[in-house]
Amino acid sequence: MKYFKSLVRPYLVWSFIVVLVPLFMIFLYAVTNSGNSLINIQFTLNNFGKFVEPVYLEVFINSIRLGLITVAICLVLGYSMAYIIARQKEKVQNFLILLVTIPMWINMLIRIYAWKSILEPLGLMHTDFAVMVGQICEFLPFMIIPIHTSLSKMDKSFVEAAYDLGANPVQTFFKVTFKLSIPGVLNGVIMVFLLSISTFMIPQILGGGQYMLIGNLIEKQFIEVGDWNFGSAVSLLLALIILFSIRWMKKIDKGEN
Amino acid sequence: MNALIELKNITKTFDDQQILKGINLKIYENEFLTLLGPSGCGKTTTLRIIAGFDESDGGELLFDGIEISKQPPYKREVNTVFQKYALFPHLNVFDNIAFGLNIKKTEKSVVKQEVEKMLKLVGLSGFEKRDVTSLSGGQQQRVAIARALINKPKVLLLDEPLGALDAKLRKEMQFELKKIQKEVGITFIYVTHDQEEALSMSDTVVVMNDGYIQQIGTPTDVYNEPENRFVAQFIGESNIIEGTMIRDCLVAFDDFEFECVDKGFKENEEIEVVLRPEDIDIVAADKAKLTGTVTSIVFKGVHYEIMVQSKYRQYMIHTTDYHEVGLEVGLAFGPEDIHVMWKMV
Repeated sequence: MKYFKSLVRPYLVWSFIVVLVPLFMIFLYAVTNSGNSLINIQFTLNNFGKFVEPVYLEVFINSIRLGLITVAICLVLGYSMAYIIARQKEKVQNFLILLVTIPMWINMLIRIYAWKSILEPLGLMHTDFAVMVGQICEFLPFMIIPIHTSLSKMDKSFVEAAYDLGANPVQTFFKVTFKLSIPGVLNGVIMVFLLSISTFMIPQILGGGQYMLIGNLIEKQFIEVGDWNFGSAVSLLLALIILFSIRWMKKIDKGEN
Repeated sequence: MNALIELKNITKTFDDQQILKGINLKIYENEFLTLLGPSGCGKTTTLRIIAGFDESDGGELLFDGIEISKQPPYKREVNTVFQKYALFPHLNVFDNIAFGLNIKKTEKSVVKQEVEKMLKLVGLSGFEKRDVTSLSGGQQQRVAIARALINKPKVLLLDEPLGALDAKLRKEMQFELKKIQKEVGITFIYVTHDQEEALSMSDTVVVMNDGYIQQIGTPTDVYNEPENRFVAQFIGESNIIEGTMIRDCLVAFDDFEFECVDKGFKENEEIEVVLRPEDIDIVAADKAKLTGTVTSIVFKGVHYEIMVQSKYRQYMIHTTDYHEVGLEVGLAFGPEDIHVMWKMV
């Protein structure tokens, strides 16, 4: 065992270099002024202060609103699909899950451009609807798969027990099946929310340049504006939002059980 | 007396395999009826058809005289105790037991009262707030029984409910189940492959094999008067001997004629005779018609299991007396110890 334990070291070194160091750099950029040199560092909280400016606040609110709507629609669609898939025979289930995952083998950019060529002739480009459609199609599999996993693992005798105790199919679904699939639902919700709140490709291409979400804001700060300090601060804040939403979800999960 | 549940020629096929080949059965009020048989004999399928989880392919299922084959399980007046209990893991003991009443929108105070009554019945008072996953197998079992009984079903279905418990707990629960059945006074339909369980708890035992009912009778009936070789072998240990029925009350096997109490067979009909190992006495060789040599003796706790080789076969005898290997002995039994049964075709 001791021998095997030492095998983890290269990974630790690697993750230190590619995860911790960049994270530290982002943190450092976020709390300093621009134009610092290595010897002369000026700490400041001004970068965070910028958020309260209405322009940026709106970006945040928009992103979270869009994220929540995407999650809600994905949840309804994804749950129904996962539920239907989970009721099939095992062979059919495997095939359907394969169908769900196949689009993910294709590069995301190509899929987005495919949507562009569908939406453009319909005159629907650069609308909320276009961004929504793009997001939902991108992220739906991340909702279906965890829910399907928890539904297909569920012992059928729970449903039979509910029927046996007088619950009709609708009551059985809400009182037993759904409740027991909540861990899968939470995983799906977290994943879709994370993906949609941090995306920048979909709003940029399908929403047009004027569509500004957190992801786009970060990208702009680094690539166009060149304000790495503010960009880092936004990234840090996004990471915090994500971290807290996961913790909050986990808490709900524990409360349910 | 009218049957509470009646199965008429029920058949069921799964994946080209016929599991039930025509089940006819009447189940009465307050009866403790056990479906007994080896795995794959169709006993669980029969239970699931009564519960409504599976639909029969053919035949009739009458409940109180009304055909209910097409009725969904949530409309039937039966409740089930599942093999692995199937307690809802997201609910505590109280909410599990209250599930059925809550579905019926029963008033909160009544629910509380009823749950407490049920917990008392199954001996789990004070467990209301406990997490069901933290309970032992025996306790989960009791919760499952309470959850079913609180709905005041006319029939309680139990699918090998003691299968997952250890031997000692099983004995306790057997006793407890019988007590609960007497207390609530409803019909229990119990599925098991354990013959001892079936014999010690039931009013009626239904022995099943290969999709058919082999015998229906009281525990003493099926033990003492098995109708065929399968029943005799499945329930208890037995010596099965092929023989001929000379006439009423006279049977011949192993070169001798013996008086018996069985009637109603044709003259000179080929039959099979069951001799239970505990019904045979070992006597001096000159005191009995059948003789043989002791070939082995094994101590089984309460009794010895002795094998005696006679001219045609080996007899198994259970006795508390010790007989040395190699000893020439006689095998004695009375007319009432001989059980004649139909030969299986």
